[in-house]
Amino acid sequence: MTTEVPEKSGEESLSSGGGVGSAGTRFDLDKETELRFEVEAGERVQLELLSGLAEVFGSELNRNKKYTFGPGSKIAVFTWQGCSLSLMGKTEVAYVSKETPMLLYLNAHAALEQMRRQAERDNERGPRVMVVGPTDVGKTTVCRLLLNYAVRLGRRPTLVELDVGQSSVSVPGTMSALCIERPADVEEGFSVQAPLVFHFGSTTPGTNIKLYNKLTSCLAEVFSQRCEVNRRASVGGCIINTCGWVKGSGYQALVHCASAFQVDVVLVLDQERLYNELKRDLPHFVRVVLLPKSGGVVERSKDCRRETRDEKIREYFYGFRGASFYPHAFDVRFSDVRIYKIGAPSIPDSCLPLGMSQDDTQLKLVPVSPGRDLTHHVLSVSCAEDEGDGPRSRGILESPVCGFIVVTAVDTQAQVMTVLSPAPRPLPRHTLLIMDIRFIDLK
Amino acid sequence: MAANDGVPEALQVLLSDELLSPSELFKERSRSHKIPVKGQKEFLPDGSDQQRARLQKSLDEHWTLVAEERVERLGNLVSAEWIPKEKLVKLLSPAGKFWQTMGFSDRGKQCLLPEEALYLMECGSVQVFYKDLPLSIQEGYECLLSPETMTLHQYQVFGHLKRLGYVVNRFDPSQVPSLYERQLNLPLPRDMQSKQLKRKRSQSPGSRLCEKQSATTMEQTTVEGECKGEVQIREPDLGHVAPEQGTTQQTSQDKSMECVANSDGASARNWWTDMSGQAQAAAAQAAAPRWDFSCIVFPDLGSHRANSATLAAPDPSLLPGALEVGECKVAHWLRKLNLKKERLSRRDWERQRERDRYKRDINDDREVRRCRNWMEYLDLMEKRRSQQHKERPAHLWEQKVTPLTHPGQCISHRELLEQISIIPSCDLLEGASRLPWSDKWRICFNVYQPDTVAEFKKSHPGKPYTRLCVCSFDGPVPDLCVIKQLSILSGDVPVTFAVVDHGDISFYCFKEFKLPTDIY
Repeated sequence: MTTEVPEKSGEESLSSGGGVGSAGTRFDLDKETELRFEVEAGERVQLELLSGLAEVFGSELNRNKKYTFGPGSKIAVFTWQGCSLSLMGKTEVAYVSKETPMLLYLNAHAALEQMRRQAERDNERGPRVMVVGPTDVGKTTVCRLLLNYAVRLGRRPTLVELDVGQSSVSVPGTMSALCIERPADVEEGFSVQAPLVFHFGSTTPGTNIKLYNKLTSCLAEVFSQRCEVNRRASVGGCIINTCGWVKGSGYQALVHCASAFQVDVVLVLDQERLYNELKRDLPHFVRVVLLPKSGGVVERSKDCRRETRDEKIREYFYGFRGASFYPHAFDVRFSDVRIYKIGAPSIPDSCLPLGMSQDDTQLKLVPVSPGRDLTHHVLSVSCAEDEGDGPRSRGILESPVCGFIVVTAVDTQAQVMTVLSPAPRPLPRHTLLIMDIRFIDLK
Repeated sequence: MAANDGVPEALQVLLSDELLSPSELFKERSRSHKIPVKGQKEFLPDGSDQQRARLQKSLDEHWTLVAEERVERLGNLVSAEWIPKEKLVKLLSPAGKFWQTMGFSDRGKQCLLPEEALYLMECGSVQVFYKDLPLSIQEGYECLLSPETMTLHQYQVFGHLKRLGYVVNRFDPSQVPSLYERQLNLPLPRDMQSKQLKRKRSQSPGSRLCEKQSATTMEQTTVEGECKGEVQIREPDLGHVAPEQGTTQQTSQDKSMECVANSDGASARNWWTDMSGQAQAAAAQAAAPRWDFSCIVFPDLGSHRANSATLAAPDPSLLPGALEVGECKVAHWLRKLNLKKERLSRRDWERQRERDRYKRDINDDREVRRCRNWMEYLDLMEKRRSQQHKERPAHLWEQKVTPLTHPGQCISHRELLEQISIIPSCDLLEGASRLPWSDKWRICFNVYQPDTVAEFKKSHPGKPYTRLCVCSFDGPVPDLCVIKQLSILSGDVPVTFAVVDHGDISFYCFKEFKLPTDIY
């Protein structure tokens, strides 16, 4: 089972290098402590592991390799055994904390691993875990941690990203699933190759909760199908990252997600009310677990969230730190594409025909006529087959997305729009879905 | 008694016959001007002397009132002439105070409409001559009122309101500003106003009151037909929903499979088959795992609350890099957990409490407890749902006509009313413009409130307080079609129905009705 331990070989071989970190601050960490630091705005910080073993959110650090973290990064370097680190550059805060819930998280991982073993032995499906909690409790970090630990043991877990506001897989406003095959890069996070992405279109599930639940079911469906044909994926199970909206419809969406994915374990971070409610509303065979949040979790402001969103879109087009990709800009004629928006505007109940409910409009596909107000909007290129015979709304709604483009300019006279696209023309498909999210290409 | 120059010779002689002596005049002045009180109406003759006496008394009072001689100052009397051909009364001497609210000028002559002249005759302000002879009140009723000018009923309503102090004039449909004009708040053009005054004559209300009944019944049937049509259109909608959803479920499956394959093709990597896929997993799915959580220990702070234990060190083989860690003290974390209370607004908190009151732990259910996995649980839920359908009383649900809502489907009144809105609340004006026009009912008068009299201008009457449609107690009750027609004709001014029952006048109006809704 533990035959394959990826990404570990490099670490040992590199141990001979000389310690360069004389310019930086040196930190000596005892076992089971962590170094937390935030990078100041406009600055970069270099981290180097001088001796011992350390990990960042479950990804191990290579000794004597310099890791660079961009402005605004909030990093925790944890060590199980003790280590010494060197930090170069301006940090907003940098301190060593002894109080980390890592041991609890590790125990949670151990339990999940036990389940995977049992699944492997009994030829069953592995654990499906849903991580829930209010905003800013470290849900994404816990997901990354558990995935990293699993993949380091040779598992092939799947990350299901349902947080439409701060997606760690694709651009914001999407719901996605990603098969994890190697631990996350310390700097970049999980390598995003061939994710399954669905278009949601907004940064809060509340704008169209019906669509949100539908796409959740879609993802669950696809994941189950994958588990049926891929044994390792089935054993690896999935880790579902959710939104921080845990009241009202947001809570209902969580319960719906649990039943759609048929989750086995729910990890509740830091909120006892949510824990009790889920215990009440989920059947007894679902293990609901309450975990504390880490003291290192920082509350992100609205601006901060918007910035990360923006950064995520920029990363999609220009690559990590804007260095690796070169997007294309070209004109697209209005007549060549069909642009839709999901969800008709809600109309007063009195105007609805007898027996029709408001919900039906939320899944409607509304054609958008291209105009100047399209400028800067992010558009998803739907995988739905281009067919001449009108919009097949069902198909488009449940089709994954093959890419994103941003409208940079609209010329209504010439009936063309200029788009920023990761690939050269032509567009692979001609069905575009409009997002509420806008991206202005400034840098 | 004062000299009146305008009156022709012959008349003067005639009038002089009716001149009173001073003693007679004093008697007139000291006479009571009180109108006897009508009192309660007698419904059935009970044959008693008391009743007969009462009736006789009230009749006598009535007769004395009617027979009473009217004494007016000759100088105050405005003389006028009835011109039957034009159906109006032309003034022969300058008009009095009444000119502020009544009458109109036609080619430099001051004129009165018949009903105005009759009312002023009754008031003792105008003496109307016909063929150079003054008309008595009785003659006035006979000459001036006719189906072509104004019916008795209409005049009764007119007089009643005038006596109460209202300003009443004839209604002219062309005077109602259009919706557009109303929205812009356009002033009424002056020339239009004067035109109206002239045109009035031809617009005698009640002229068509004696129309055939058949026309209205025709309309009614057409309206009914329309309604039926609408219902028929709506019904199929209901039926469509269910089957469509069914098919989407299926197509969704197919689609997502296809699409996944597509996306993978692009990245030259297959989402499904990068590993040695084994098909038998599908079989295993059915016998879903049953985790033994007593062996698989999760660090659950929620359940450790009671017995704050320490977690045993996990098996190193389960950990990445064969880590060896010590045991974990849970108690320490219990204290740290969620120290900050959740901030809920008062409304949120109340709503949550309300919700929690009716919520039970689903695991209290024995059948749910017996489920071992999601498959069984979801099956159970599905079975219950269909059972609920089955358990419904057959006499209600298995016939052509079924209840409008399912039990438990609607929680609030609002939901229920929305669900069963077979008769949706509608605006009175809705669709009225499309209705076929009928002449049977018409608006007769504009009514202005008494307190506006001081500022009232005939040329600029402004917006009426209400508009009146006069109908008889014996006649038919206006139907919805009529009400709609009249209210659209009247624009933003409400329409009141004046119902005349042998001199007794009652006023009715129709108000819009909206379905009640709950306010949270």
